[in-house]
Amino acid sequence: MKKTILSLTLLLATGLLFAQKKTTTSAVISFDATTSIDKLPKAENKTAIASLDTKTGKLAFEVTIKNFAFSNPRIQEHFNGEGWMNSDKFPTAVFKGDITNLKAINFSKDGTYSVTVLGEIIIHGVTRPIEADGSIVVSGSKISTTSAFKIKLEDFGVNGGAIAAGKVSKEPTITVAAEF
Amino acid sequence: MTTKINKPWKKWLIAAFALLLAGVAIAWYIFTEKFTDTNAVKADYTVNAMDFIKEFQQNTRQANDKYSEKIIVVNGAVSSVEMADTTANIKMTDSLSGSYIIFAFQEQHLAEAKALKAGDKVSIKGSCSGGVHSEILDVDNISFKRCAVNK
Repeated sequence: MKKTILSLTLLLATGLLFAQKKTTTSAVISFDATTSIDKLPKAENKTAIASLDTKTGKLAFEVTIKNFAFSNPRIQEHFNGEGWMNSDKFPTAVFKGDITNLKAINFSKDGTYSVTVLGEIIIHGVTRPIEADGSIVVSGSKISTTSAFKIKLEDFGVNGGAIAAGKVSKEPTITVAAEF
Repeated sequence: MTTKINKPWKKWLIAAFALLLAGVAIAWYIFTEKFTDTNAVKADYTVNAMDFIKEFQQNTRQANDKYSEKIIVVNGAVSSVEMADTTANIKMTDSLSGSYIIFAFQEQHLAEAKALKAGDKVSIKGSCSGGVHSEILDVDNISFKRCAVNK
């Protein structure tokens, strides 16, 4: 009897732990590398995977590079090509990090909370540390996260001719949004 | 007399102008080119959703070589409709492995995605972006862009 109660307690505890890790497969990641002379290099990916652990503050994103949808076919082809993201060799971009001010967020109270996330981002097979500000909105059982930050393409070994020619921004803006 | 002297210059001027026009036309075409409506594009393959997932699970590299950036019709049952920003994604999930196919719809077909619900049998046409293994979820996922309900 005692063993049964212990097992049930363990099962319940495990269930609660898992409940703290929230995931989505429809996070949205936008990429804007437009310049004053070219408005085409921007795209959106609405099928990114994201997870948020409300207990530990761990936040992660994964995105399939080829699923960034551009309006222009030629730009999309260049984006995935060897001179740019080389998406055949590096099919995903990944972010893993922690919310540094987790104590400031009350996940059981509706509100908008400013957050800072510190972690590592892997793009084009290159890992770099990153710190980004964002916000978390708690509304009932729904948690929404958003952040916008810039990256330097040369830090990730992306050096296409279009960048040198000023047609693609050297520091594109990445916007991430996930609803859990 | 004056006309004869200027003739070679006129030819050069006309040729340069024609080249300039051609250049502008090509640049205009490149910069304004858009993806065709997926429903108007002939599919390269027609597959069953669960068989398609199995094909990726058995040999991801081979499946990616075969299907990436191809237009594919996928027949299957909707397992969930997920909101993504103001739009909706459609998922077909293998309940045993948890692996899934996810379809992001083309702008002009967004309403079709929102009209679907879990359990619906549907045929979706889209551009396959390939399959990857998710470290976060520990499942395989195959993503599609520019999708439409196949008509």
